[in-house]
Amino acid sequence: MSMNANPMQDGFTLEDILRDTLESTYINDAYYAKLRHDMGEWEGCGTVLTAEERSVYESLILHENWLLDRRAFEKWYQLYSRECVYWVPAVGDLPDAERADPQRQVTIAFDDRRRLGDRIVWLRTGVAYSQLPPSYTSHISTSFVRLPSENAEEVKIRSQFLVQEMRAGHEIQTFSGWMGHVFVKENGVIKIARKVVCLLDAPRNHHNLTFLL
Amino acid sequence: MSIQTSSPHFEHLVEEGRVHRTLYTDSSIFDLEMSRVFGGTWTFLAHASELPKPNDFVRKRLGKRPIIVTRDRNGNFHGLLNRCTHRGATICRHDEGSARRFTCPYHNWSFTNTGELAAVPIEEGYGPSFDKAQLGLGKLRVESYRGFIFGTFNTELPDLKTHLGPAAELLDEWLDRWPGAELQLRRGQTKFSCAGNWKLIYDNAADGYHPGYSHASLLRMRKDRYGGGVDMQWALGNVDEGLQTVADCGNGGTFIDQRAEIKRYWDQSAPMPGESTYERVIKEKMGDKADAALDVVMGSGMNLNIFPNLLIIGNQIQVLEPQSVNKTHINWYATALVADDLPDEVNSLRMRLQEDFPSFGEPDDLANFEECQVGLEIEEVEWVQTGRHLDTGKEYIGAKGMLSGPVSDELPLRVFWKEWLKRIAQDNKGGAK
Repeated sequence: MSMNANPMQDGFTLEDILRDTLESTYINDAYYAKLRHDMGEWEGCGTVLTAEERSVYESLILHENWLLDRRAFEKWYQLYSRECVYWVPAVGDLPDAERADPQRQVTIAFDDRRRLGDRIVWLRTGVAYSQLPPSYTSHISTSFVRLPSENAEEVKIRSQFLVQEMRAGHEIQTFSGWMGHVFVKENGVIKIARKVVCLLDAPRNHHNLTFLL
Repeated sequence: MSIQTSSPHFEHLVEEGRVHRTLYTDSSIFDLEMSRVFGGTWTFLAHASELPKPNDFVRKRLGKRPIIVTRDRNGNFHGLLNRCTHRGATICRHDEGSARRFTCPYHNWSFTNTGELAAVPIEEGYGPSFDKAQLGLGKLRVESYRGFIFGTFNTELPDLKTHLGPAAELLDEWLDRWPGAELQLRRGQTKFSCAGNWKLIYDNAADGYHPGYSHASLLRMRKDRYGGGVDMQWALGNVDEGLQTVADCGNGGTFIDQRAEIKRYWDQSAPMPGESTYERVIKEKMGDKADAALDVVMGSGMNLNIFPNLLIIGNQIQVLEPQSVNKTHINWYATALVADDLPDEVNSLRMRLQEDFPSFGEPDDLANFEECQVGLEIEEVEWVQTGRHLDTGKEYIGAKGMLSGPVSDELPLRVFWKEWLKRIAQDNKGGAK
């Protein structure tokens, strides 16, 4: 790992992302079916985390929040697996597998690894006027529970969130709802394979939702 | 809103190559627009695919008015004012659904989905002067063209298709990219809120001057990652030397035609999740028709704007919902194409592609519109320029007899203001004020 002047970026640069995934190969019918199946599982009865689960999964979500609040997008990107998705449905009152189905409708964000990279490169161009001046966020996550998952290789954690966003010249905006994180082990490291952000006001009009939830 | 006793005049605010800033900042002008422009001309209400079955309805707005667009049991569309004729409460409080009748929750007056007052509880409490036939819901004149439902209070206007003029033919071209396919809107929306006047958005919808500058982030991101060659390359350099054009569709409608710049749609498309998989599947399923099927994944290369609130861009339909003089809701409806000879994988890709510009393009536009609104509050600098290519001799009579110009021509602004002046001078029934 190379040294970097900014400790939040250490080891991960925009160059890494530019060279990362340039193809979109893994989003297919089976992947969409998995997302619909997830929605059913998110509906389930969760169990509060054990001390061990907290130290692994809750810690990772809190670290993710911190990286986003510090605008360390390059490092945040590396928390995600090779075949990941960052998904913000445009419908409310979830979970609901049918109404949420991203294969059948547009979303606020549906980023596979490639588009997630595009988003970070776009944010870093310095000429994305919707992010000039940039948004600063404060993420709070709470009420972590683990959901039963049919796939024993995956760990599903659901949490409630509150995100405040401030951009110079604009009033502070507040977003809330629940998130689902699916964790997998990739080369011995725990990564986020799927993150779904279900906004309380998902079906409403949003003002400049160009920062990352 | 104050009641207008005498009508103000606006000619002095709209000059040949410039318009006055107060048109964007004066809330009394906004109130008048919501009354006279929205509803005073054929105004887009809804798309037929939003209410596909008999007795379906959707709740919408017409300016500030809450309205219900219904399909009756015979399939005919109606535009009803969502206001109980008794005491004023809205009678429909759902965004969409199916109902033969709407019953006001306040005193249970009940109206059919064609607007007639059907029943009143304890009717004997009214005397002989009570006439249910006079107490139906307020109604709009409604017509549709190929699924696009419009309404107006204006009885002087010609029928919708005549009114649309060349825009109707352009809609045909937009709809017939896959002949026989049905366009469906029921695929979700991207909904934006902008702290800017609604006209800033309409102004931009046929602005072929801005993309190379306003969308520098999108263009630079694409180039840095993919080396260029995809999407919107025509926005770079001197666009007037390219093949795009702008045109006047009449009655405030405007059009940017990018199609001549697009040699092969699929090859020039923006990236989208699922691209490799579904390209392969479509090629397997479609054989020699696959290229044509992949081409309809990409946007049309057409920006068609129908005054005052319908903006067709790419594969999407944008509808403007003004909230106040400096706040506008912009709803981007996603569209899908449904046809027996078109695999649904095309729509799996269309959904992802229709997230691209709302993610990486539109937000930068909205940020600029908001900064226009801020700048336009300055009293001392009064005018907004609309005169680009006004006197360069580059305008000509082009396709469909439309006055046309190079793509950076501000002709669309001038077309808009000409129609705006006409509408603001009349009441919403078409009478002179």
